[in-house]
Amino acid sequence: MTVKAAPSAAYDDLPYTRGGAVDRADVGALVQSAVDGDAAAWKALVEGLSPLVWSVVRAHRLSDADAHEVYQTVWFRFAQHLGRIREPEKTGSWLASTARHECLKLIKSLRRLTLTDDPQVLDRVSEDRTPEEFLIDSEEAAAETERIRRVWQEFGELGDRCRQLLRVLMASPPPSYQEVSAALGIAVGSIGPLRQRCLRRLRARLDARGA
Amino acid sequence: MMNDDMSDLTDVSAVNDDVGESFFDDMDFDTGPLEEELRRAAAILDPVPAELRQIAVEAFALHDLDARIAELTFDSVVDAIPVRGATSVPRMLTFHSGDVTVDVEVSAQGLLGQVLPPQSASIEVLSGPQAALPLVADDMGRFTSDVSPAGPFALRLRTAGEVVVTEWLRA
Repeated sequence: MTVKAAPSAAYDDLPYTRGGAVDRADVGALVQSAVDGDAAAWKALVEGLSPLVWSVVRAHRLSDADAHEVYQTVWFRFAQHLGRIREPEKTGSWLASTARHECLKLIKSLRRLTLTDDPQVLDRVSEDRTPEEFLIDSEEAAAETERIRRVWQEFGELGDRCRQLLRVLMASPPPSYQEVSAALGIAVGSIGPLRQRCLRRLRARLDARGA
Repeated sequence: MMNDDMSDLTDVSAVNDDVGESFFDDMDFDTGPLEEELRRAAAILDPVPAELRQIAVEAFALHDLDARIAELTFDSVVDAIPVRGATSVPRMLTFHSGDVTVDVEVSAQGLLGQVLPPQSASIEVLSGPQAALPLVADDMGRFTSDVSPAGPFALRLRTAGEVVVTEWLRA
């Protein structure tokens, strides 16, 4: 399992693959090693699958505090169930599905407790990081920063279903369709067509803005 | 990459409001690079917070094959009928593991619970890989805490015969 903590130019050169097969082939083996007490294997699982869990949580548009709690709950429960999961090679789907259920439960409990439940109110993206912190200071980087900002902004303007799907798809490494299905409760067969439409929609928005 | 599959029209048409004008369907472009760009944007603008990743790494300490997991079988958030107008209703939870049942009531005032069948037990309220608050269940299996769990929590019970841990939940 490879870890791509920060974007790099090399990332562009990777062939575009649809998740699972390459990056996650060894998940089952890592789970087995972790069950046997190998902390490094556990760490590799966390590094490799954290972005997926985080993407699923973010796709459900919780507040930052709630998102943090769901993320932790999912990992605590995974640690607890380690060695008891029936299909270790499908750990990504297990995590995605657990994250989804915790998100839905939380949303339900918020609905119960507050009458002013408006997803928009809960929609806060952490603002404490700026792209500048991550990119080297050069003209090229500035152009990259600007493009990324624009893509992110237009992504945020998409409808709920598209935003949700794309937020899960943009986990790194790319999730398999089984994982996306577990994350969003939609049929594997409908993900491809929906993905195409959502990305076309985003492309059209960017083109309209002259990006 | 998958092509549009017309057998899925029912699913896809449900999101047409979201996705917009169908004339975009005729535009053919390679969606891979745009998805990659989104992935890069997410890695920069909304990455997994480093402190969260670290907590997940430390969560390995919660791995305990000797303890039995008590599964959540009732959660008032999911299974109960909402009380109209009530703003802070206690959350009722029931966990089962074999013949041991744990009932827990979580409210702003704290935590109230009972082990069934009634028996004494030493209990820890876990809130993460490091933090644990010790409690004692009396001979009737009752236990209380005036600390209300915030965030993820689990109970670890040591009875005469075994160790049982409740499934991790967000309080």
